[in-house]
Amino acid sequence: MKALDQTSSPFWLLVSLSVFVESIRLGVGTPQNPGMGFLTLGASGILGILSLILFLQASLKKEKLKAEPLFAGKLWRRVLFVLVLLILYSRMMPVLGYLISTFLLMTALFWILERKRIVWVFLSSIMTTLITYFVFSKWLNCQFPDGLFGL
Amino acid sequence: MGLFDSILYGFQVTFQPTNILFCAIGVLVGTLVGVLPGIGPAGAMALLLPATFRFPATSTLIMLAGIYYGVQYGGSTTSILVNIPGEASSVITCIDGHQMARQGRAGPALGIAAWGSFIAGTIANIGLMFVSVPLARAALSFGPPEYFALMCTGLIIVTYLAQGSILKAVMMALVGIILGSIGLDVITGLPRFTFGINELTDGVGIIPLVMGLFGISEILVNLEESLQREIFKAHIKNLWPSLKDWADAKWAIVRGSIIGFFLGILPGGGAVISTFVAYAVEKKVAKEPQRFGRGAIEGVAGPESANNAAAGGSLIPLLSLGIPPNPIMAIFFSALIIHGIQPGPLLIKQNPDLFWGLIASLYLGNALLLILNLPLIGIWVKVLEIPYRILFPLILLFCLIGAYSMNNVIFDLYVMIFFGAAGWVMRKFGFEAAPLILAYVLGPMLEQALRQSLLISQGSFLIFVSRPISGIALGFAFLLLLSNLFPYFKKRRKEYEGFKE
Repeated sequence: MKALDQTSSPFWLLVSLSVFVESIRLGVGTPQNPGMGFLTLGASGILGILSLILFLQASLKKEKLKAEPLFAGKLWRRVLFVLVLLILYSRMMPVLGYLISTFLLMTALFWILERKRIVWVFLSSIMTTLITYFVFSKWLNCQFPDGLFGL
Repeated sequence: MGLFDSILYGFQVTFQPTNILFCAIGVLVGTLVGVLPGIGPAGAMALLLPATFRFPATSTLIMLAGIYYGVQYGGSTTSILVNIPGEASSVITCIDGHQMARQGRAGPALGIAAWGSFIAGTIANIGLMFVSVPLARAALSFGPPEYFALMCTGLIIVTYLAQGSILKAVMMALVGIILGSIGLDVITGLPRFTFGINELTDGVGIIPLVMGLFGISEILVNLEESLQREIFKAHIKNLWPSLKDWADAKWAIVRGSIIGFFLGILPGGGAVISTFVAYAVEKKVAKEPQRFGRGAIEGVAGPESANNAAAGGSLIPLLSLGIPPNPIMAIFFSALIIHGIQPGPLLIKQNPDLFWGLIASLYLGNALLLILNLPLIGIWVKVLEIPYRILFPLILLFCLIGAYSMNNVIFDLYVMIFFGAAGWVMRKFGFEAAPLILAYVLGPMLEQALRQSLLISQGSFLIFVSRPISGIALGFAFLLLLSNLFPYFKKRRKEYEGFKE
């Protein structure tokens, strides 16, 4: 955890500094009349101090600093693939509409772990898309985008 | 209206057909969520919340409550049969529950978990009825300093009881406060931290935030691991525990119920902590502690009672004070706000149908869980056999639909994906999401109370220590933080962390 803490603490320090500066810009006010940045200034200030403590705590730990790979041996490519798919889905849904974009997403997601049975993948994707469309759009009145093809 | 009349009125509300249906849906969905790894109670509630807009607030709350304690029940099934907890609150049940299953006693383990949950749930409901009303009356005299102090204390207890480092938990709470401040300022009405993004004017939505941090990140973590799991295949028989089992478990159920109820009331306590404490107590009072870990029925009865009692107990601060004590209650809080109801001391007076209907529904829900789940145990075992490769795309899709349908805005999907990825990375670095969510919800209230208090006191911070309730609450919080510096507490905390590990 030593290396991880030494990596994460500067990140939080950076976050706290950004919020601190923005809080001052928003206006801290006075204790008699606190401004918009009053609480966030305090919160970011304490966050900054704690980030420094975390860094020092990690640095002063007696354990030897060793490389701690976050993703080694794990199926992290699969995770990244899913995240990219989700972002693409969010981009495409207003363009292609719910039905087409959801069908494509489900096909890709089912395909990740079930590559050999492509017919099963297609059938499952169609079923899932149609069932969720009728349940959420028709029954629960969710307003899904129609997209270019009106689907 | 007296207490008896009020509870009768509550049953009248609960026994309306729509509410019975919502209660049944809630407990079934809750059990399903509890059985399936990958989506917790907070994620499930956040998912279903947008779908409840067109239904009355009482029905919605009844369903959400059903999900909450249904999850506690469902989680035990996976712990006992698969040795994988469906929920964090069932982690401890794995130890003795799965050992009992291995010894051919899966039936009594599941049976005592169900009965323990039922009895504890009922005890917690009675406690809830007797504590909420006087507490709400007392809270009417609370001003902004008291609310500020109580919320601060709540946040500090949450961080103190965090599973990992306190330092990191406090950092997450501060990040939550900062996130909660995005959007329009509560007093001036001007935007802040929106970076010119119009969608952020209303703040970061709680649904995409919760779904990202709890739902998506959990799926991503599971995707990284091997998706194989071994299900205990022996025939499950004798779901009714024997007389000896009852004799062994009866005091564990009572103790678990009391521990769960009181820890549930405490901010940050909730179902998870109560199970660990209940298990530790059972082991401590046992005549033969060496039986624990080898299939002791008390090791199942105590924690399973505790998590259900905690579910009931945690409703008290929300309904009486308007302060959510844990992330799940934060979803409840949001549900009430979405339906135009302000949680707090006036809730009982202004919305008696909701308050008493919700309490009565807890009795109904507990009974339904018992009636539905014991005979349906075979179905839940079948559900466990559904491969994760089929489940995860469905859960992901439900999260996407849930996040989108809240406001019908694509931006919410990006928020959810962002926090999903952030939650996944945060887990790797040992940062917990629970303090962040709670602080995010409490943040705007905390800020309002702080600024109002300072306006009242003309800038003097002494207002927080000069008033008895806020002084005591802040003093307690300060001592709690300080206690971590003392070797005795440090050692205890290390033991607690080791125990959790």
